[in-house]
Amino acid sequence: MTELTVQTKKFQKELNAGTSSLVLLSVLSRSKEALYGYQIAKMLEESGDIPMMKQGTLYPVLRSLEDSGLLESTVEPSVSGPPRRYYKITKDGRSSLEEWLEIWKQTKKFVDSILKG
Amino acid sequence: MFNTIDEYLDALKDEMKDADSALIQDAQADAREHLSNALTASREKNPETSESDLLKKIIEEYGTPEETASANREVEKRTSPALDQTIAPRSLLGRFFGVYIDPLAWGALLYMLIAFVTGVFYFTWAVTGVSLSISLLIFIFGFPVALLFLLSVRGLVLVEGRLVEALLGIRMPRRPLFSHSDMKWFDRLKALVSDKATWLMLIYMLIQFALGTVYFVVLVTVLSISLAFMALPFIQLFSDIPVFNWGDGSVYLSYWQLTLFSIGGFLLWTIFMHIARGVGQLHGKMAKWLLVTE
Repeated sequence: MTELTVQTKKFQKELNAGTSSLVLLSVLSRSKEALYGYQIAKMLEESGDIPMMKQGTLYPVLRSLEDSGLLESTVEPSVSGPPRRYYKITKDGRSSLEEWLEIWKQTKKFVDSILKG
Repeated sequence: MFNTIDEYLDALKDEMKDADSALIQDAQADAREHLSNALTASREKNPETSESDLLKKIIEEYGTPEETASANREVEKRTSPALDQTIAPRSLLGRFFGVYIDPLAWGALLYMLIAFVTGVFYFTWAVTGVSLSISLLIFIFGFPVALLFLLSVRGLVLVEGRLVEALLGIRMPRRPLFSHSDMKWFDRLKALVSDKATWLMLIYMLIQFALGTVYFVVLVTVLSISLAFMALPFIQLFSDIPVFNWGDGSVYLSYWQLTLFSIGGFLLWTIFMHIARGVGQLHGKMAKWLLVTE
């Protein structure tokens, strides 16, 4: 592996560390029903041309969001495999999402203005 | 590659074996749920394709065990930093001899050796620099000399900080202290002289000489005594040299006495490694206190 791809991977990972929580909260806030991990991963895959993050990295983020009370989850048995954990956004999650969106807008504006020079 | 989900899960468990057991369990559960759901879905879509081929594509999207493990660890670090420092409880005996695999203990020993050399150098540099600067201040070129000397102190302190962090594991600065490079050189000198940090750094450079000498002497003494005790049986048995001479007679020890000496030497060194580790931590705290101004 070349030095460049290692650095690029690291950069991508660091970016994802902040954005994946926002993306997950936003996906769950728009969905009317609770979603399980594989569904969320599929939705993310369909909405972007290039896979931005490995699906496996979503799960620890989902867990940490649940830990901090922004999501809640229920387990339901499935016909075809192991029980599925369905995630749903909480009231706290919605208000956090609003604040995060504001921060994201400002960050985006700021970074764009710097990049344009 | 992986032919079944279980193979992937085993590899993931292997990858995370030093992680918290609760974290391993969570990661395993999530991976199992995702992979089996994905497998069911893609089996419906491509009934002809073999399971291992399907799984290959799924894992490509999900991430290798290595990637999944690292993602779990990263998030864990951010959410519960205290957990990161818990060490699996070991027995008293395990803790006592565990010092041999403790990088901080070996680092501290190495630091004690190096501190002798750096201590002599810092002391010489500080004493020469201060006296040269002060005595040359009666000439106009004394001021640039003083400025250069004080700037060199900052540079040396940064290097010492890197040493302390590498060997003693105490987080030290990676960038030099703000050095007023936008000022005129005379103002810069004034700012450096009136800065408390400069004087604390000089104090550290002086103290390091005394500490470095003590560290070195104690380390060499204890190392020699321990090694001598441990080597005693071999010396007496193989080269027939007595433990010591008393008047005209020579003193030889019996086997059990020799064994006791050997064990004693080993224990002495083990205890000293614990002490060195503690002293290293204390030294690191002192370095942080004197060299890093908040």
